[in-house]
Amino acid sequence: VKPRRLRRIAVNAIGLVTIIAFAFPVYWMASTAFKQPGDIQTYVPKFVPFPPTLDNFTTAVTRPHFPDYLRNSLVISISTVVLALVVGLLAAMAVARARFRGRRSFLLLVVVAQMAPFEALLIPMYLVLRQANLLNQIPALILTYFIFTLPFTIWALRGFIAGIPVDLEEAAMVDGANRFQAFWHVVLPLLAPGLVATSIFAFITAWNEFLYAYVLMRDTANFTLPVWLATFRTAFGTDWGGTMAASTLFTLPVLVFFLLIQNRMVGGVTAGAVKG
Amino acid sequence: MMVEGQAETGIGPAIATPRRGGAPAHGRSAVARARRLLHYLPLLPSLFAFLVLLGYPVLLAVVISFQRMGLRELVQRTTVWIGLENYASILADPTFWAVAIRTLAFTAFNVALTMILGTLVALLLGALGRWMRLALSISLILAWATPALTASVIFQWLFDSKFGVVNWALTSVGIFGDYTNHSWFATGLSTFAVISLLIAWQAIPFVAFSLRAGILSVPTEQYEAARVDGATDRAIFRRITVPSLLPLFMILTVLSAIWDFKVFTQIWTVRQGGPAGETVTLAIYAYLKGIAGAQYGLASAVAVVMVVLLALVLIPYIRTMLRTQEDL
Repeated sequence: VKPRRLRRIAVNAIGLVTIIAFAFPVYWMASTAFKQPGDIQTYVPKFVPFPPTLDNFTTAVTRPHFPDYLRNSLVISISTVVLALVVGLLAAMAVARARFRGRRSFLLLVVVAQMAPFEALLIPMYLVLRQANLLNQIPALILTYFIFTLPFTIWALRGFIAGIPVDLEEAAMVDGANRFQAFWHVVLPLLAPGLVATSIFAFITAWNEFLYAYVLMRDTANFTLPVWLATFRTAFGTDWGGTMAASTLFTLPVLVFFLLIQNRMVGGVTAGAVKG
Repeated sequence: MMVEGQAETGIGPAIATPRRGGAPAHGRSAVARARRLLHYLPLLPSLFAFLVLLGYPVLLAVVISFQRMGLRELVQRTTVWIGLENYASILADPTFWAVAIRTLAFTAFNVALTMILGTLVALLLGALGRWMRLALSISLILAWATPALTASVIFQWLFDSKFGVVNWALTSVGIFGDYTNHSWFATGLSTFAVISLLIAWQAIPFVAFSLRAGILSVPTEQYEAARVDGATDRAIFRRITVPSLLPLFMILTVLSAIWDFKVFTQIWTVRQGGPAGETVTLAIYAYLKGIAGAQYGLASAVAVVMVVLLALVLIPYIRTMLRTQEDL
């Protein structure tokens, strides 16, 4: 009995250390954000922000242009989601339900596009958008993020649609519904969770993106939140309270969204990879 | 990463060709041909996006890599073909070689770190009790969901030389010596250490959750049969768990390699490739040459080299993927 007990204690101790290692950086961000100015730069760290204050958040949101950055980030992310979803749903519906020549090649194209290293395409993208007079314009980022998220959107939606039995649509069509009605009343309600998960993923991708936003946007008023945060050293100096408050505000929606779709995130890569 | 909820079942007869048997065997009418063309209509916007919006820049990158293309050429709209000169000058540049080797070493180290720790965390998830497992899952999700940019900012605060909590903790523990005012960003190696830790912190949760899901999906009959035959725990792990997880393990390794090879945000946010260019990787190098230095031709050549290096791991990966997806 004794060695078992010892093993149990050891496993729990390792578990506790691991939990702290992964949770602490996020806790430290939030904790610093709520601290009084005098409690942040201390040689012996203060672990609990007591009494808490919202001053850092006020500092962060009253920085010049903050409303612009927030608006840009929201407009760009939401437009990306809508565009990728509309275009992606059309293609996903076709490849999931119909068999036609070139279907396989199209899916291969999707896989290759999904793997494309966008970091390496920065220069040509920059030049193309420059030619098109889109540098420093919000639509440039919407278009770029749309291309980033489209392959994934098609791939994921195709999987969700394939999971909906085709008999349901056929039954509706036997009952006199046309193809659009069958889609609208039968497929769409069943597809809703998949649509939500896919949109959230696209939203997070666009919301988090830094490199292209940093390179393509010149005017301060056109920055997105990540660009603003990345330049925090010039924006905030050594004001870690303000920096962490800004980081918390930026991260919060991502955390909430992520929790909603977390269960669906693991499966994709795993599917079919374990020999049964 | 992919979202995929349902299993790929229920791919019945195609609804778009409901009258498959009804068409006359010869002399396909114009109507039938038009119907078939209709299948391609919903693909047109996506095809436009892939072939024009994505394909054109890819093509352009290759074309420009054979040109002298700087601000002057861009403004005057002139085309100066220089053949392989860009490639020659990159390959002759000792900095490029240093950067390329550094990038490969950085990638290899991060992948190894992520895979080893990720596997250990996956096993730990299985060994813990219910509540501890839940707590660990939540903290893993926190690290996973944190945007790369936020993580880079947080880690700079954690590793701040004067008021950073890491220096305080190391000093307090005592056995590591005195870390008061220790600067983590003074040397390239030490800066890389922080960046690697930051990348692993964010990448481990995905690897751990995927492996954990893989472990759980090994059919229990196999374990039961082995146990009936008198196999020990160790033998079961080595003979059943490890071989069934191998394909998944390979996929996760390749994906990590791809992500770590081209990482930009974390390196750039932490020290912009500093100190003294010691943490410049290929992605940063291409940015510095191309966008900051306005040598678009040269930077495109770097990008092409990057893609070729990536393709070495990507092509076998896509092949395997196509083989496992029987629907393709």
